[in-house]
Amino acid sequence: MLNLVFRGLATGSIYSLTAMGIVLVLSTTNVMNFAQGDMGMFLAFIAFALIMRNFPYPIAIISVVVIGLILGTLLERGLMSKVRKTSHLGMIIVTLALTMILEGLAGYFFGTTPLLFPPLLKGPPIQFAGVILDRQDLVSLAISGIVVLILFIILYRTKIGIASRSLAEDEYGARLLGIPIKSIYTFIWAASFGLAGLAGVMVAPKLSLEPSFMIVIQLKAFIAAVLGGMSSVVGAVVGGLILGVLENFIAYYIPQIKDSFSLILVVVVLLLLPEGLFGRRQARRA
Amino acid sequence: MKKITPIILLIIALFIPVFLRERPSLIYYINLSMIYAISAQGLNLLMGIAGQISLGHAAFMAIGGYTSAILVMSFHLPFIIALIGGILVACAFGVIIGFPALRLKGFYLAIATLALGNVVTDIIKRLKITGGDYGLRNIPPPSLFGFELQNNLSQFYLVLGCLLLVIFVTRNFIKSKSGMALQAMRDSETGARAVGINISNYKLLAFIVASAFAGLGGVLYAHSVTYLHPTNFGLGFSIDLLAITIIGGIGTLWGVVLGSFLWVLVRNLMGTGLEVLTGVLFGVILILVVLFLPRGLSEIFFRISNRFKSKEVQEK
Repeated sequence: MLNLVFRGLATGSIYSLTAMGIVLVLSTTNVMNFAQGDMGMFLAFIAFALIMRNFPYPIAIISVVVIGLILGTLLERGLMSKVRKTSHLGMIIVTLALTMILEGLAGYFFGTTPLLFPPLLKGPPIQFAGVILDRQDLVSLAISGIVVLILFIILYRTKIGIASRSLAEDEYGARLLGIPIKSIYTFIWAASFGLAGLAGVMVAPKLSLEPSFMIVIQLKAFIAAVLGGMSSVVGAVVGGLILGVLENFIAYYIPQIKDSFSLILVVVVLLLLPEGLFGRRQARRA
Repeated sequence: MKKITPIILLIIALFIPVFLRERPSLIYYINLSMIYAISAQGLNLLMGIAGQISLGHAAFMAIGGYTSAILVMSFHLPFIIALIGGILVACAFGVIIGFPALRLKGFYLAIATLALGNVVTDIIKRLKITGGDYGLRNIPPPSLFGFELQNNLSQFYLVLGCLLLVIFVTRNFIKSKSGMALQAMRDSETGARAVGINISNYKLLAFIVASAFAGLGGVLYAHSVTYLHPTNFGLGFSIDLLAITIIGGIGTLWGVVLGSFLWVLVRNLMGTGLEVLTGVLFGVILILVVLFLPRGLSEIFFRISNRFKSKEVQEK
């Protein structure tokens, strides 16, 4: 029982990391990023290459996050600032095109055969008060916790965070107040790609590393984000955790529907509760 | 001039297999591109004319293909009936998937269709009659009026006929009252409602027609590829269809044909080892199209023909 909850939270924390990136970008820049998961995939491949060249694990993680930040900046400056003016369909297509490019590049440079990504902490699972804890699960929970904390401090206690939240609230108003929206957009994209890199590195040891391994996580992150209402980062975190736990219970008790469950859940939530569990109520959302 | 061009193109199309008799694999790829074009035409109607977004279009192909294959293999019905059955079942699912579209828009509709498409492939994977995770193998080739269309050459004419039919239907649909209503809805839902267009009915209609095309494509796919597997119809294929539609030219009549030929031929004729890079190539093309060519690569043709037209005017 507790085992299920714990493992659910560990999976959920990955969903939360990815969902946070998606929601962060969506609420501020109005772009739904379908490439969030694949960005994580690509960065996980880079981390893998670094580790294989005998770089220590923590340095690989940090450098991947830094690369994510740089790629995010470049992407916003080079592409997204132009795409933002097109329609929803245009944005979906551009981000899907990014997934094609990233998967193609990853397949070209690293091959399409699944690779085994080494976990951060090796060793047998820890037993604690009757609960069996996988080490990698502990790591991903701990790191997601720290990242969420840092992100919240940035969003709620620093100037740039408050500015980006104001941008999410009202772009015109923010611009009137002299907030440099271009740099905020860049910051947001960079942050979300950094998150993508972390999520990729966290999840890669649990699945096998191949160009399409993040698609499932991406889908689950969307579902988590929808559960959390698409507009609040808190919602994304909680949505991800709830989804992870729910999924683990379903997989344990009714394994026949474990794949379809979350998919049907998201449609139901979208139809009946469009603002999710934590979203702001909006009269109209186009 | 305007009336002769399509006839010339048709004659060329009819003789393509004669030129390519030596290379049946090429004919197979041409068949495949036409099948993709048929399915993508549905998506084109849905997105380009009705303004809806679907990321689960391949699921309709799966439904059509599986229905027809099962009708032929397990119930031993003739191909024609299986074909109609496949299309009808796909339409029925189009209604089911169309319902969320009545309340959702934009990104949210994309997520909902994505989820529902995955549900369909998941269900197919778990059913027994569909062969589950093993897929369906050795699906018999299509047969019409007692003739079995065994080789790629004879299937070419069947698929070509279906493609022309689909394009003809699309052309008339766009010009019909329903097509006009859908275009009005795409441009402004409030405006369309104000002039008395029943939005819900027309949205459902768009989904039904789109899934009928996809179902037809799926039936042809099943019987010419002779092998079906649920994972082939997942998100990846849906994105392929989306990309075909966009690259060819969204909202245009012939764009999907251009797009799918480019897609299938480039992907399959690239040397081995470079196949993975086609994703990169098409990704870059997609981004460029979204930024610079709102009507896809067919826009290039439009521009050329416009230049010719303006020259004619000048000469007069």
